[in-house]
Amino acid sequence: MEKGKKDAPNRELSFVTGGEVNIRQDPWWWLVVVVAAVIILLVMLRPVPFKDIVVFAKDGILVTILVTVVSYFLMLILGLFGGLGRLSKNKIAFGVSSLYVEVVRGIPLLVQLIGWYFASPVIIQKLGLLLNFAPFIEYRANPIITAIIAITVCYGAYMSEIVRAGISSIPRGQMEAARSLGMSYFQAMRYVILPQAFRVILPPMGNEFIALLKDSSLVSVVAVSDLTRRGREFMSAHFNPIETWLMVALLYLIMTLIAARIVSYIEKRAKVDR
Amino acid sequence: MSEPVIKIRNVHKHFGRIEALRGVNLDIHEGEVVVVIGPSGSGKSTMLRCINRLEEYDKGSIVVNGIELNNPHNINAVRSEVGMVFQSFNLFPHLKVIDNLTLAQKIVRKREKEQAIEIGMQLLNKVGIPEKAEAFPGQLSGGQQQRVAIARALAMNPKIMLFDEPTSALDPEMIKEVLDVMSQLAKDGMTMIVVSHEMGFARAAADRIIFMDEGVIVEENTPQLFFTSPTQKRTQDFLSKVLQI
Repeated sequence: MEKGKKDAPNRELSFVTGGEVNIRQDPWWWLVVVVAAVIILLVMLRPVPFKDIVVFAKDGILVTILVTVVSYFLMLILGLFGGLGRLSKNKIAFGVSSLYVEVVRGIPLLVQLIGWYFASPVIIQKLGLLLNFAPFIEYRANPIITAIIAITVCYGAYMSEIVRAGISSIPRGQMEAARSLGMSYFQAMRYVILPQAFRVILPPMGNEFIALLKDSSLVSVVAVSDLTRRGREFMSAHFNPIETWLMVALLYLIMTLIAARIVSYIEKRAKVDR
Repeated sequence: MSEPVIKIRNVHKHFGRIEALRGVNLDIHEGEVVVVIGPSGSGKSTMLRCINRLEEYDKGSIVVNGIELNNPHNINAVRSEVGMVFQSFNLFPHLKVIDNLTLAQKIVRKREKEQAIEIGMQLLNKVGIPEKAEAFPGQLSGGQQQRVAIARALAMNPKIMLFDEPTSALDPEMIKEVLDVMSQLAKDGMTMIVVSHEMGFARAAADRIIFMDEGVIVEENTPQLFFTSPTQKRTQDFLSKVLQI
């Protein structure tokens, strides 16, 4: 207790001046170090099969990161509009965004992924035949793009609700004060409401990133060569399920742990800025 | 007398079944300071909020500075001419004091940053807290926050200022500093409508006092006559309760 109290002013000061990540300020960085050490030790002490797995799955890791980061930023944008729509007085905007959230939220991501990958090309091809439009007839789904669309649509629905809750948490007087100064609704949103709501929704936004990173493993069922799929390929070739899935799990763990530390760092910065 | 700057005609407003305003008529002239008093739930704040259309009214008409409020396209034009000060200050907590003062100047009035800061600092001097320019609202006392809120509204060069119970959320020792700023503003010739329970301020600064009850204006008079010889039974009851304390 006492120690925590003593540390508090120090921590604030160091964020104002330097702001660099420091293990002392965030002890959970030790866990990141430990997991990284385990991975490195396994690779060094037992290169067969651990080093082979990492080398084999390297491009899979990159695909996982690519799918996660791109879907995350797209779904933030979609969630922002979804959330604004859920709060809109405009009946059409409210109706469309509410229907979107309610429907998409109720269907498993895996089902949505499979639907986008297998069903949507057939629909587009049928449409192409109907219109006699060659690019549509020859349409083939690009696995990575399809996966990104599916995850964006699905997570955008969750994000809409987070954005809605964040904006609702800002007192009504803030919008009234902004409007009474002559700002338009969108100016008030942009300069007054959203900057405050952003701080409120930072923790759930971070959560969504970590959840999305893990759920990105589902894209392995639609022919995307992500970390999970590469792991499965390695296992089938070498018949060593224990080592393969241990290493795959450790690789996911190190990514999510690092993401969690970055999220907590951003949260602290946002608090000190106030 | 010249044309009134605010003309309220037969305005009605209801919230669900509750009738907040039941036919309000009022003229406010340029440079006039009007204090609106009355029991809670009498429609004082609702009337004030209708004047810059934070509240929409169901019936009647309001003309501010020659602009008809019934047309929704005119709202922003009216709002930039009418400053409003709230009971709960409503400063923007994520912005420094000076940024609270310059934000709307920059994006609504389209002023250059330097000019907006200059005007902001002038107004902070006027309300007596220039040293707080770089502070965040959360670091100020209630009285200081309310003075910043007044300065923020003034930064838009409004022709009319509305005050919605500006001292009701303040500790007693901070009320004076806010009332002093408001009195100075009144002396400078600002047109002001003040909803308040501060009878002392009403007596000293008002040109006219309006007593509202149950959604209508019951009585209006100069402070002198209003406090010494109210004509309506309802006003007499209210004053006898309020002034006893």
